[in-house]
Parts: sequence; C-alpha cells; structure tokens
Amino acid sequence: MITTDNLTKKYGETLVLDNLNLNIKAGHIYCLLGANGAGKTTTINLLLGFIKPTSGSAFINGLAVSENPKMTKKHLAYIPENLMLYPNLSAVENLHYFSGIGGNNLEKAQLEAYLEEAGLQASAYHQRISTFSKGMRQKVGIALALAKNAGVLLLDEPTSGLDPKASNEFGLLLQKLGNKGVAILMATHDLFRAKEIATHIGIMKNGQLKQEFVADKITLAELEHAYLQTMDYKELAV
Amino acid sequence: MIQNTFKKELKELSRDGRVRISFLLVILLMAVATWISKNQYSATNEQYKEAETAERHIWEGQGEKNPHSAAHYGTYAFKPKYPLSLIDHGVDKFTGTSIFLEAHKRNEAQFSKAADQTGLARFGDLTPDFVLLFILPLLIVFLGYNAFTKEREMGTLVLLKSQGTSVWKLILGKWLAIFAPVFISLFLLFVVAGIVLSNLKDFGIFSWESLGVLFLVYIGYYIIFINLVLFISSKVKKSGISLVLSLSAWILACLAVPKAASNIAESQYPYPTRQEFAASINKDQKNGIDGHDPWNKQAKLLENKVLKEHNVDSLEQLPFNFDAYRMQKGEEHTAEIYFKHYNHLKTQFEQQSSLYRNLAVLSPFLPARFMSMAIANTDYATHWDFADAAEIYRVELQAFLNGNFAENSTYGEWSYRADESTWKNMPAFEYDPPELSETLGRNTSNLVVLMVWILVSFSLLFFTTKKL
Repeated sequence: MITTDNLTKKYGETLVLDNLNLNIKAGHIYCLLGANGAGKTTTINLLLGFIKPTSGSAFINGLAVSENPKMTKKHLAYIPENLMLYPNLSAVENLHYFSGIGGNNLEKAQLEAYLEEAGLQASAYHQRISTFSKGMRQKVGIALALAKNAGVLLLDEPTSGLDPKASNEFGLLLQKLGNKGVAILMATHDLFRAKEIATHIGIMKNGQLKQEFVADKITLAELEHAYLQTMDYKELAV
Repeated sequence: MIQNTFKKELKELSRDGRVRISFLLVILLMAVATWISKNQYSATNEQYKEAETAERHIWEGQGEKNPHSAAHYGTYAFKPKYPLSLIDHGVDKFTGTSIFLEAHKRNEAQFSKAADQTGLARFGDLTPDFVLLFILPLLIVFLGYNAFTKEREMGTLVLLKSQGTSVWKLILGKWLAIFAPVFISLFLLFVVAGIVLSNLKDFGIFSWESLGVLFLVYIGYYIIFINLVLFISSKVKKSGISLVLSLSAWILACLAVPKAASNIAESQYPYPTRQEFAASINKDQKNGIDGHDPWNKQAKLLENKVLKEHNVDSLEQLPFNFDAYRMQKGEEHTAEIYFKHYNHLKTQFEQQSSLYRNLAVLSPFLPARFMSMAIANTDYATHWDFADAAEIYRVELQAFLNGNFAENSTYGEWSYRADESTWKNMPAFEYDPPELSETLGRNTSNLVVLMVWILVSFSLLFFTTKKL
C-alpha cells in the first residue's frame, strides 16, 4: 500500500510538490499523468526515500519512509525510465545480484522462473545485458520485483521509448502483478497505456494533483480531454 | 550483500578486457623483472664468491713478509648479497660492493654497479621492487578508479539505492573485489619467489619470516592505495575526473613527494664534499701521532712515556719492537679520527632519515620503500653497518699485524719477516646483516607511519562516505 499525507517538497522557494495525498491500495495500479516538471518523479523519489520531504509524510505498507528508509525499501521495487543493469553480466547474474543485495539469495532455477514469468525469452537468460533492448531490460526489472516479492512497485515512465508491442507486453505484466496484489504507482506521459492498465489515474500539474479518476469510469477520449484541459491546452481539448 | 557485491565486482573485472590485459602485463613485467634480477644476481654472486675466495687465497699465500708490508698490501671486505635483495635492490647499485682494507686509511666501498653503467642507466632498471612499488599501485588505480563512478554513469546506482543497499557493505564488497586479486597475485608471486630464493645456491641465508614481513609491508601499501582510489571514486561524479585524481595521487605519492623529500633532506642536512671530508681528516691526523714518523711530536711523547713505563733508557731495551708499537698507536689514533668523521656523516644520515620519516606522512611510498629496503638488507643503514663491520675488521687486522711485528722483532728490525703461516691466523672477514627484529626495531617509525596511513585511509573511505 502506498500512502502520502500532504506530501510537500520545496527546493528553496520553488514548490515542486504541493500537499499531495495519495492512497494506493494493494492490487491497484495508479497512473500519474502530467507534463515534465509536474512533480511525478519527485513523488517517486520521495517514496523511495532518495530525497526528504519539506513537510508531510510518505508511507509504504504503513511504514513512514523518512523514519524507516531501509525497511520500506524491503517492501518495494523500482523501475526507472531507463533501467540500467550491469552490461557485462547476464540477466540471471544481474537478477541474482540485485535480489541478493536485498537479502534474497535465489537459486539459478528460481531466477530463471522469475525471468520467465516476466516474459523474457529463455535464450536471453544467460546473455549479457549489453545485448538487451530497453524492453528486455524492463522485463528483468519486473523479474526483480517478482523475485523480491515486493508489495509495492514504483515505475517512472517505464514505457517511454518502448515499441507498441513491448509496451503492450509490459502493460500486461503490470496487470498481472496488480492481480497478485501489488500496489503499483506508475508515472507516465502515455495516456493510452494508462487507460489500458490502470485502476486509478491522477493528473498532476505544478506539483499539485489536479484530478483523479477511476479508470473504468472514464473513456480514453474523456481522459485525454481532462488532461488537455488541466494542462491548459484548451484549444486542443475539443 | 558484501559477498554478493564482491562476487559481482570480480565477475565484472574478469570480463573487462582492459583489466585482463593490465593484470597480464603486470604479471609479465614481474616475471621478466624477477628473471633479469635472478640472472644479474646469480652472476654477481658468482663473481662475489670467486673474488672472495681468490682474495683470501692471495692473502694467505703472501709468503714470508714483513707484517707492515702485508698491512699496506691490504685485502678486501666483500659485501655479501642477500636473497631478498633480489626482490628489492635498494641502494645496492650505488653503494659499492667491496672495501679495500689497508694500513692507516679507511676506504669507502667501491665498484658500484651504477659506476659501471652507461648513460642508458638514466632510464632506470626493470626490477621487482620497481614493479611492486610503482606499477602495482598503478594497476590498483586502473582497477578502482570507476568503482563507484561507473554505478552513477551507468545508472545502476539508482537501482542499488532502491534496494536499500547499505553503503558500507557496498564499499566493503567493492574493496574486497580489488583487494582479493591483488592479495592473491602478490601472495603467489611471493611464494614462488620464496621457493626460488630458498633454492638458490650460495645466496646467503634465506628467511621465510623476512619474506612474510616484506609481503605484509607491501599488502599494507596496497591497502592504502585501494582505500584512496575508492575514496576518490566515491566522492566524484565522473570516471574521467576520478581517473585524473587517482593518477595525480599516484604521481604525488610515488614520484613527486619522494623526490622532493630527497631534495629537502639533502639541503637541510648536507653531506660534506669528498674534498672537505678528506681535508678535515688530514687536519686531525696532523695533530696526532704519525706511526711512520719517529720524529713526530706525539711519537716522541709516546716514546718517553713507554721508556718511563718500562723503566729503561733506550728503545732497544724494550721487550718489543717499538716501531711496530708506535705504528699500532698511530693506527689507533687514525681509527679514532675516522670514527669521529664517519660518525658525523652518520649523524647527517640519521637526520636525513629522520626528515624522510617525517615527510612520510605525505606519502605512503616512503615508509613502504624504507621498510622494503631494510628487510631486504639493501638500505643505507645496512650499508653503514657493513662499512662499520669492515672498519672494525681493518682495525683488528692492523692490531694483529702490528702485534706480530712488535712481539717477534726488536726495535729497528725492519728486516723481520713473518712466516707464511701467519696470514692464516687472521680469520677472514665475515659480515652478518642485522636480524629481522633489529631491522624492525630500527624502522618502528616507518611501521607506525604505514599503520597510520592504513587507518586514516580506511577512516576516510568508510566514515566519510555515508551516502553515494
């Protein structure tokens, strides 16, 4: 479960996140939409504990991030926009290392099973990451979340730069995780993908959460209209 | 987590072609340097043994001769080679290999290797100590400069941080991944060196204990470099900057500070020039007794004193040859003068060494270098020790010869000839270098400075790097 309580972040006098209140339950996929600089990445960094909030709190599975930075990380997995792994190691070796440093040393067969579950083709398990496409690397990231048995998954624009097929596959994987009870927060620009996979959608602007929707209760066209309205692109929002 | 990082780093290093090539080059360089050294030392040692045997043969085969003629004829004290000098040549190249021992004069060691070399020697020699002291730290720089910066540049640091990675465990894992190959390579090299050295013929007494201590000194030296390189890598953002800073640290520690220390020590506590040194000895000698000159003022005083002591009127009435007695007294006086002037040189040397030791806080190279040379018995202190032992032998030799002359002849009997068996009665010169415990005792401050460097660099790395 992901919760934020009036989460605020200022850099000097610049307000980058303004009293954000989120409540993402287990099994929910929450897509956070917004232009660059809207505060999406700042929200994720605050949830990861990479930066400290100016005021307010962030919680992962009920634990305050700023007070339990290590413990909260045990409950979450993170996939950045461009997931970078060690190029000279194979997918299995990368997965072994990253799950290992999280305290979860797994056998080769288990690691391969997670990679399979994440949709990576078997021939790539022992190939060096330097030969992988972005889509393949993102799948390793999903495998890491699976291996970690994380209750929370944070994703920062994970589908940008992916081709439609890879993006679709990735979306399906996230839904699979959601169905397993993982609480997912995904920052994205991709309205279509958000509508496809999310259970909830929020639109951010200038550090504020302007609108929230239940994905089932809104069409793609309505979502696009709301987004453009929020972004003040009124001439496009017809 | 430490183990995971350690294994991952080792895998990455072993798969990096640059690292493989660097390691191979270092091992190749070490092997070539050891092979060259072994050949050079085997040849030198053979010459040493031959020269020592030949010289003794000449000494013992002098035949019937006046002892004072034998004293002027002289003999040589040869500086022995020690097994560990094959690893660290130290100052051996410059200090000379033998000292000519003769009456009335303390000579310096001569026939240094450096004096026999051409101008090409300016480029330096490829020796094991060169590889150990200069090249291996350079390899550490190449192994570790991007240990942390690569995580930033590749973007893997974000993923690491998101796993709740403990910084000190990550540092320790990376530290071990650099330390392990260095440790294993050095260990194997030293074991091979130990086996080779312990099986060399006529190469002095080999001590595994000394080799072990030498190994620990080098390990300590490399630990400092690993700590410094990782510290730099953890503090900067770009690999390029980290490499430049690490190389600068290497240049400063291994090249700049030692050269500067040498210049400062030389200017602060200069040695007298050879002319000044000889002139001050001559001056003191003139004021004392001259064993060859019976009309010398001091000789006359001695003559009167001896006549009085023996209650006789003339030198002929003495129960020994006064000429030889006077020469012995002259010899003792000369030895005292040399002792005084060489002690002054030693004081300057001690002060230079002390300054070096103080400057060692600026570079871990200095304490490591001094310890290495001392353990290998190729430092200046051991050379001084050898020169002093040769001088003591020279004084004993003169006393033996003058004693023989005095006891077996009468005053004015310059025609006296000692028989040919006489020369064998004077044992050959033998020199044992300081024991390891004595060497370590003499180098306590270097040991302390090295330890301080290790502790400070560890503290820098582990206590100032709270987050990455």
